[in-house]
Amino acid sequence: MPELPELNPVVHGKLRLALLSLLSGVDEAEFTWLRAKTGATDGNLGAQLMKLEEAGYVSVEKKFVLRKPQTLYRMTEAGRAALTEYVTALKRLLGTAL
Amino acid sequence: MSGETDSLELSERLNMIEAMIAEGRGRYESWGWMFVLWGVAYYVAFFWAAWTRFAYAWPITMIAAALLTMVGKWRRGNQPSTTMGRAIGATWCAMGISMFILLDALGFSGHLEDVRIFVAAAAAMIGTANAACSMMLKWKAEFACALVWWTATVIASFGSAHAAIGAFLVAIFLCQIVFGIYAMILEWRRRVRGVAHA
Repeated sequence: MPELPELNPVVHGKLRLALLSLLSGVDEAEFTWLRAKTGATDGNLGAQLMKLEEAGYVSVEKKFVLRKPQTLYRMTEAGRAALTEYVTALKRLLGTAL
Repeated sequence: MSGETDSLELSERLNMIEAMIAEGRGRYESWGWMFVLWGVAYYVAFFWAAWTRFAYAWPITMIAAALLTMVGKWRRGNQPSTTMGRAIGATWCAMGISMFILLDALGFSGHLEDVRIFVAAAAAMIGTANAACSMMLKWKAEFACALVWWTATVIASFGSAHAAIGAFLVAIFLCQIVFGIYAMILEWRRRVRGVAHA
């Protein structure tokens, strides 16, 4: 079986992978929605989203709606490509293992 | 970690990706309450208009139902939008506006004296919206609703006024009330199963 390091380490993180998967199905998502869907803590979620942002896989927009701060996350083209490559690699690895 | 454990973990990740993508896309059945709401609204408007002959029964009830839909949507909170969600929302919104304009125009111009015209037009438009959404979602149950509505259109066109009214009331019951409750049950089952936590 090929070694796991072939998988993109930024995408491979379980929470980061969940976040990219969630964002792939929507136009944009609020921080609170991502927190509800993943069940992650604020701190952990913020840290993982920052890593994805640093990698260029998600973009962030902060704004105020009715005087309340709102943080919106969107998947970038690079993020979509990274997730697609990750899934392809994952299937290839599984195919090898079976 | 053994190769077997590795492949198990990788399979779990693949399953998680699928679950999260589906979660992100949302579920149409979570709008089951809206089908029930509009079904009740159709009944209220129909019997209100039939018993009191009040000309504004339909417009008032439809506007009230539209406002309740907006309140319900607002209460659902920060659901992210998707292309599919917008397409489905646009289909129903366009159908609602068309029906509102057509039936009000026919009604206030005095050309809607025959209840069969009303039923045929309304059922055909609701059937179109159901069919379009069922094709987008590949949901056979909703396509069955479209067939029921189209059947009501045919009955209204060829049958008596009583047959048209009967077909309309049955279509509302099956395609709004029963289908809405069915969608709500699907949503409830999904919630019970729980969200896969990352």
